[in-house]
Amino acid sequence: MRSALPTVPTLHSEWIKIRSLRGTLGGLIAVLVATAGIQALTAAAIGRSEDGSMGDDPLFAAYYGISFGQIAAMVFGAGAVAGEFHNGALRTSLAAVPNRTRFYLSKIATVGVLALLTGQVTGLVTFVAGQAFMGRYALDLGDPGTYRAVVGSGLYLALMALLAAGLTAVLRSGTVVLSLLIPFVLLVSFVVGEAAGGAAQYLPDRAGQLVLHARTQGDLGPWTGLGVMALWAAAAVLGGWLAVRRRDA
Amino acid sequence: MNSIEIRELTKAYGAHRAVDGLTFDVLPGRVTGFLGPNGAGKSTTMRLLLGLDRPTSGTATLGGRSYLDLPDPLHRVGALLDAQSAHGGRTARDHLRFLAAAGSIPVRRVDEVLEQAGIASVAKRRIKSFSLGMRQRLGIAAALLGDPGVLLLDEPTNGLDPEGIIWIRELMRRLAAEGRTVLVSSHLMSETSALADHLIVLGNGRLLADTSMADFIDARSTRRVRLRTSDPGRLRSALARDGFELAAAEEGRWTVEGIQAEQLGKLAAREGIPVLELADERASLEQAYLDLTADHAQFTATR
Ligand SMILES: Nc1ncnc2c1ncn2[C@@H]1O[C@H](COP(=O)(O)OP(=O)(O)O)[C@@H](O)[C@H]1O
Ligand SMILES: [Mg+2]
Repeated sequence: MRSALPTVPTLHSEWIKIRSLRGTLGGLIAVLVATAGIQALTAAAIGRSEDGSMGDDPLFAAYYGISFGQIAAMVFGAGAVAGEFHNGALRTSLAAVPNRTRFYLSKIATVGVLALLTGQVTGLVTFVAGQAFMGRYALDLGDPGTYRAVVGSGLYLALMALLAAGLTAVLRSGTVVLSLLIPFVLLVSFVVGEAAGGAAQYLPDRAGQLVLHARTQGDLGPWTGLGVMALWAAAAVLGGWLAVRRRDA
Repeated sequence: MNSIEIRELTKAYGAHRAVDGLTFDVLPGRVTGFLGPNGAGKSTTMRLLLGLDRPTSGTATLGGRSYLDLPDPLHRVGALLDAQSAHGGRTARDHLRFLAAAGSIPVRRVDEVLEQAGIASVAKRRIKSFSLGMRQRLGIAAALLGDPGVLLLDEPTNGLDPEGIIWIRELMRRLAAEGRTVLVSSHLMSETSALADHLIVLGNGRLLADTSMADFIDARSTRRVRLRTSDPGRLRSALARDGFELAAAEEGRWTVEGIQAEQLGKLAAREGIPVLELADERASLEQAYLDLTADHAQFTATR
């Protein structure tokens, strides 16, 4: 088993792959820019008009921008893996790192760590930048649930990236994964989530976003919700591993 | 340590056997030409050797070990599989950099192989802007990166200009002379005969020949004569009695397969048929190769 773990050279190689593709590096930067930027713009536009103008839950309202940032996280996660299915790129990669488990774990670890670091910075910057425009309705760091939301939002973004990365390894196409996931988080989950109470709360994005709420209703608390999302992401990553191990390259 | 051993190797895609019970060795110190028409199974054999595809049965090893078990694959084997095996969005240099990183190869070596492959000036351009010939050169640069003892080159001359073809021919000869194992595939005999010392010929996934280039020439290219005569009609019937066939060639000449000038000359003299010109000839290597693979060609061009 130890012989299948990532090594410094394989992690370094994956990092070079990610930073040398415009799409993946851009997706990573867009996580921060989209989440914090849209948060700040929205807060500046309507945040001070009246209490609750950005939603009933002031903590969740502080992360309005994450709806957009999560798409960037998916683009990053899917893109990092999809690069291998571009032409015969995977063959070159596997010729250099023939152990498929090591190859895949190195990639997933690199995607996860980069998304987590970016997510944590995003979580903090989004909170601070967004609240700066809220005037007297602003939350302060230290108010109930705020630290949880700052850390949780970073984890949420990282898990989204991993979910997309794992699915891309299964389906072998970033385009297919994004054309499934983006409508899902923007429409399906939203519509279904409004309509049905029970099962919908277990959908990955619904469950994961509980960590951003001041108060949660339903069966899941904020951290168990994030845990449910982590299970989804883990299932996708596991599926990707099985696919990468089994298939001919 | 640098030899390649293929044993009873079979790969089926569905019901179709792309590689069918192949057994052969590739030895160091010489260029081995890997010949066969399109679809013969050359690329599949190379992918199986690199552990990219799983064999249905049989083994493909390097010095007795599976490629998957090599601790330092890039230092042992350099492969050019397909000019398209690179992401178009990366620059040539970044493509080589991530490979170098994976193999713990110093970055200096990246610049060396870029120089050696003649693409240093376009190293910072994205691969999607490359011509096929430039991509081939990048693939060769990648294969040379780890200074490997074994080189697997799948149709490396595809898309190369004449200057590039000469370059790669000399490169392969030099690598073999240094004691490395060089396996180079092609579907053209004309190209292979100019550089290979040894030949492995595939047809429909099966081994058709495993022989030195010299032996192949001796054994395969049949004898024939070329002649001019003022009485082809009588010569034809005289030859037919001995089981030979007179065939028309260009410029009013005739050829007869499987006979030598001495034998035909005597026959014509006995019959009193005037022969104006007579010479021994060898069927071309290309023809010998085509004959060998004719029954096995999957994609025969319709003329
Ligand atoms: N991944 C694959 N799936 C199905 N058939 C394949 C696959 N790869 C190769 N083949 C088939 O296997 C045969 C051998 O192909 P290949 O090894 O590419 O031949 P060559 O390189 O000699 O032209 C062909 O008939 C080809 O269509
Ligand atoms: Mg081929």
